[in-house]
Amino acid sequence: MKRKLLVTLLVGSMLTAAACSDSKKDSGSSGSPVKAAWIYVGPTNDGGWTTAHDNGRKAVEAALGSKVLTTFKENVPEGPEVAQVIDDLVKDGNKIIFATSFGFGDAMLAAAKKYPDVKFEHATGIPNDAPNWSTFYGAGEQSTYLAGMAAGKATKSNTIGFVAPFPIPEVVRHINAYTLGARSVNPKATVKVVWINSWFDPAKERQAAESLVSGGADIIASGGDSPAPGDAAKAAGVGWTGYDSDQGANYPDVWLTAAIYDWGTYYTKEVQAVIDGTWTKGDYYGNIADGFTTIAPYGKRVDDATRALIDAKKADIIAGKFDIFAGPINDQSGAEKVAAGKSIDFGEQMSIQWFVEGVDGEIPA
Amino acid sequence: MIRLERRASFPKWLGWVIPIASIAAALVAGALLILVSGNDPLTTYSRILDRAFASGEALSATLIAATPLLFTGLAAAAAFKMGVFNIGGQGQFVIGTVTAAWTGLMWGDSLGKAVIPLMILAGVLGGALWAAIAGVLRAWLNTNEIITTLMLNYIAANLASWLIFNSRSYWRLLSGSGLQFPQGRRLPEGSDWPDLSLGSLVLPCGLLIGTAVAVGCWALYRHTRFGFEVAIISDSPEAAAYAGMRTKRKVLAVIALSGGLAGLGGAADVGNFRHVLDPKGLNQSGYGYAGIVIAALARLNPIAVVFVAVLMGGLSNAGRSLQGPDFPAGLVGTLQGMVLFFALGGEVLARYRIRRTVRIPEGVAV
Repeated sequence: MKRKLLVTLLVGSMLTAAACSDSKKDSGSSGSPVKAAWIYVGPTNDGGWTTAHDNGRKAVEAALGSKVLTTFKENVPEGPEVAQVIDDLVKDGNKIIFATSFGFGDAMLAAAKKYPDVKFEHATGIPNDAPNWSTFYGAGEQSTYLAGMAAGKATKSNTIGFVAPFPIPEVVRHINAYTLGARSVNPKATVKVVWINSWFDPAKERQAAESLVSGGADIIASGGDSPAPGDAAKAAGVGWTGYDSDQGANYPDVWLTAAIYDWGTYYTKEVQAVIDGTWTKGDYYGNIADGFTTIAPYGKRVDDATRALIDAKKADIIAGKFDIFAGPINDQSGAEKVAAGKSIDFGEQMSIQWFVEGVDGEIPA
Repeated sequence: MIRLERRASFPKWLGWVIPIASIAAALVAGALLILVSGNDPLTTYSRILDRAFASGEALSATLIAATPLLFTGLAAAAAFKMGVFNIGGQGQFVIGTVTAAWTGLMWGDSLGKAVIPLMILAGVLGGALWAAIAGVLRAWLNTNEIITTLMLNYIAANLASWLIFNSRSYWRLLSGSGLQFPQGRRLPEGSDWPDLSLGSLVLPCGLLIGTAVAVGCWALYRHTRFGFEVAIISDSPEAAAYAGMRTKRKVLAVIALSGGLAGLGGAADVGNFRHVLDPKGLNQSGYGYAGIVIAALARLNPIAVVFVAVLMGGLSNAGRSLQGPDFPAGLVGTLQGMVLFFALGGEVLARYRIRRTVRIPEGVAV
C-alpha cells in the first residue's frame, strides 16, 4: 500500500513537472505515442532474420495501436555509422531502441551510457551492468533439433548439407542440435557443413547450397539469413529446411520446416513496459516452452508419420520430459563426450566449440 | 538523329550554370519521386539538410562518413588521371587497416600518440605494396589492371576475414566477448587518433590529414615534373615513351601512390573510428567502390574530391536518417542515384553539345 502511494506521488510529481516544462517534449505523457525503433543489419525483405524481426515490429504496432509509433533503419553497416544512426533515433524521440545484429553491440552500449533515459535492447548481445541495457535471444537449438528430425526422415542419400554462417558457439550449437535431431530418426544421416562467413549473402549462401548438392546432399539446411539456399534446393529438386522465417508459401515444393522465433511477443511486452514505466533490465533467453522459439508449419515433403513424431517430441520438450543435449553424445571421432544421464549444461552450450558425431566438417581455429 | 558533338570551346558561364542546373533538375525529379511515394518533398529535403549539414552535430556525423570516402576518392582520382584504372581501392583500404591495426596493437601501449605516424606509414605501405602487385603485372606483363585490382579486392577481403574468423591471429580477440563472436582486438585507447573540436563541430584527425593530402596531390599533379609526365602518358603513352619517359615505372609509381592513398584511408579508419580490424563491417561499407564514383564526380580533381566526399557522406548520413517504415531504403538509394545521374549528365552537357542532324538518304537528289 505504502509503495503504491509512493508510486502515485512520483507519477503525480512527474506529470506536474512535465506539464510545467515543454509538454510536447515528453512523449511519455498519456496521449502522445511512445516511440520505438529497430536497427537492422540487413534489408527488411531478406526473407529471414531481418524479415522476422520486422514482423515482430509490426506485431508491436498491431498490438499497441496508437500507443506506439515505430520506425526502423535497415541495411545499417556495422561501423562508425551506427553511432550516428542511434544519435539520430534518439533525437527523433525514440524511447526504446532494439538492435538485431551482434556487431552493433559496442555502439549500442556506448549509446546506453550516453542516453540514460532511453532503453537499449540488443538481440544475441552480451549482458552489461548499464541500468538501461537488456539482451534477448532464445533456444533456437530446440526448434533446430525438430527441424533436423524432419531432414533426417526426408533424406534418401543420408547426406544433409548445412549452409553455416560463422564458426561461433551459437551456430555450432545449432548444427549439433540439428544433427542430433536428424540422427535420432536416421542414425545413418550425416550433416555436411560449409562455412560462408556471413549472416546475409544470398549469392554465397546459394553457392554453398549448390556445392553441397553436388556433393551428394539431398536436403539443404539454412543457417544464414536469406532464403537463397531454398532457390538452390528448388533448382536441384531437393528438400530444404529454412531458418528464422516461414518461407513455406514461397517454396512449397521443397519446404520441410524451419526453426523460427516469435520476436513480436517479446517486443510487445518490452514496449508495453516502457509505456507503463515498468521496464526493467534483463537478459532474456526464451525457449520452446514459453513460445519464443518454434518450428514453421510443415511442407508437403514431411509425411504424416514424421509430423506426428516431431509433434510428440515437441510436446516432450515443452513438458520438460526431453532434453535435446542429454547424453550419451559422441564427438566427431566417435569418442563419448557426454555420458548417459549427463547433459551439456547451459554454460557449455553458450561456448561450445566441438561437433557431435555425424557432422562432416570442421570448426576453424 | 541526335548526336553529341564535343564542344570546341568551353564558355565560362557554363561552368557554373550546368552544376546548378543539374542539382535543380535532380531536386525536381527527386521531388516527383518523393510525391509519388506518398511523402512530402519539402519535409524530406529540409530533413536532409537538417540531418546532414545544418548543425554542428549533423555536420560532424557527415564528416565521419566522408573521411574514408575522401581517401578512396583520392586514390581513384590519382590513378585514373593517368588512365590507370585502379578498381582496387577497396582491397588496398582493407590491407591498410590490417597493417595499421598491427602497428597500433604492437606499439600503441608503449608509444601512445607517437604511434600515429607509424600507423599512417604502415597503412600507406600496406596499400601501396598491395596495389603494386597489380602495378607490376600491368607495367611489365601488360595484364589488364581492372581485372587484377578487382580480384585483389576479394583476396584482401578474404585475408582480413581469415585473420579474424578462421585463425588465432595477432589481430583477433581471444577472450571475453571474442569467445562468443570472432572479433578484432581493440587497439590501445591511448593511441586513438585525436579529433579537433570547434564548438559542437568535431573534425576527425583523418579528415584533416586527408584534406592536406588532397592539396598535396593537387600540387603533385599540377606543379611537378611527375605530374607533367603523368599528363603526357595519359594523353599518349607512345609519345611519352618516344620522349624518353619511363612509362612502365610511372605506371607502377602511380598505382602504388593510388594504393597508398587508399591504405592511408584504412589507417584512418582504424585509428579514428573502428579501433579494431573489422572485416565484416569493411566488407559491408564498400568505401573503395564509392571512391570511384566520387573521383568521377570530382572530375579527378583532388581538391574537388574533398567537397564531393563531404557531399556524399552527407547524403548517406541523411539517407539513413530519412529511411523508416514509410520511406524505404530503396527510395533513399534511388534519390542518391538521381543526384549522381544528373550530376554526371550535366557533365556530359558541359563537354558536349547536342546536335540534331538530318540524315539524307543516299541517291536522293537534294
